[in-house]
Amino acid sequence: MAEPHLSLPVSRDQIRELRVGDTVFLSGEVTATGGLPAHKRMIACLDNQQALPVPVKDALLHLPTMMDERDGRFEVRYVNPTTSTRFASFMPRLIKEFDLRIVGGKGGLDAPCVEAMRDTGCVYVSLLGGGSPILSDAIEAVVQVGWLDLPSHFRLMRLSIRELGPLTVGIDAHGNSLFEQLSSRARERLPEIRRRLDERRESSLHPELK
Amino acid sequence: MIDEALINRVTRELYSAALRKVPDDTKRALARAIEHETSDASKSILRLMLQSALAAESSDRFVCSDSGIPVYLLEIGGAARWQGDIKGAITRGFAQLVETIQPPLLKHVSNPLTNERGYAGKDIPSISVELVDGDHIDITCVPKALGSGRWTQIETFIAPSLADIESFVLDVVLKAGSQHCPPVIVGVGIGGTFDHAAKLATRATYRPIGSINPEPTLALMEERLTEAVNATGFGPMGTGGVTTALGVHVDYAFGHGYTPVAVCFNCWINRRAKARIFNDGRVERIE
Repeated sequence: MAEPHLSLPVSRDQIRELRVGDTVFLSGEVTATGGLPAHKRMIACLDNQQALPVPVKDALLHLPTMMDERDGRFEVRYVNPTTSTRFASFMPRLIKEFDLRIVGGKGGLDAPCVEAMRDTGCVYVSLLGGGSPILSDAIEAVVQVGWLDLPSHFRLMRLSIRELGPLTVGIDAHGNSLFEQLSSRARERLPEIRRRLDERRESSLHPELK
Repeated sequence: MIDEALINRVTRELYSAALRKVPDDTKRALARAIEHETSDASKSILRLMLQSALAAESSDRFVCSDSGIPVYLLEIGGAARWQGDIKGAITRGFAQLVETIQPPLLKHVSNPLTNERGYAGKDIPSISVELVDGDHIDITCVPKALGSGRWTQIETFIAPSLADIESFVLDVVLKAGSQHCPPVIVGVGIGGTFDHAAKLATRATYRPIGSINPEPTLALMEERLTEAVNATGFGPMGTGGVTTALGVHVDYAFGHGYTPVAVCFNCWINRRAKARIFNDGRVERIE
């Protein structure tokens, strides 16, 4: 399929057109953080009906950011995705209550998140870990920063991005997860993989070592 | 004579270099993997990895935002002549690097008792020392990020067969699944004591990709384990493909009948930098 260039905000219908394995590029505004404390605080804000320092809407990426502050203005020096699964326990609620269309990071999310994404109409995009030079070039500006008491990569921030990608749709809005599919397939393949290992070992070993 | 000032300088240079340059053996392995991949999607991701590595190198930027835990290995030659506080020189060199490096590092070193974040602390930078032959000191610097490191496991078996050991490696690979920024380098340490097995596994990942294990039994084990790990299908960035590992490196030590087996991972950027410092003060970059 053609590589779609999505401009945020995106509609639920646009998101539902995507399927696992598709490649996309993102432009527009996204919310980003790489920190557990930021996730805990987002949940606390929901619990206590408190306002967030930065809007969490449309897209939430697990994308730690190194930023500089100059004359009260923030400038991104570099970004890179982080492992999403450590935030998995928070994500179903964040996806639903903030009505997110896109979440992302690296490594995927678990089954309860997949279900929340199907219910809400949301996809997970996989960013290239170790792709800092490419991904950082797609950051146009820092729109807003919250929770300045936290280290740079743990803060909650709103970023303006242009052509962030290529990103792989790892979980679609129809309950399909590339990560779950690959994990199941690896488990299914395991007996055959072990048999092949045994076969190669047997054929190479000295008889006394068998 | 090798002095503190020289060690201090090399400490800084190696760390900074390791963050910006994917080792040549790793770039070659990625290029080879592109040939072997079977789908356009997985080929594209490998190409993107190479593109990122080359962009970081040519524009003097970091490949990854996670500068990890500073790990230094010192191999001191028996005929090396040195003076002063070498470990202190490394610790101070790293502290100076944190102050001056551009772009700045993120705070990735944590106090596990408080979760407070910084750049260094008790026992970190991690510095280990080995005695070797020669009239030089080799310093290897490995910025170790735990995005891949967290999937490490160690288990102690009772007189395991090779099949038991290989089966355990596969279990650890399956548990890590898509999450350790594959294609990875898998390190396996067999035998010795608890700490020795972990050290063997870790150091095995430092070995250049494509080098042949001098132990024939292990050379064969590496071949079949690489095939087995790649047959799992997790692929580049864990979104599918036939390259989950760029290599499986195994080392062993004699031990007790209770045999620890350690398995660890380096992500695809496989950061390491190494320099040799001679007695006359010459410094040669090895990796």
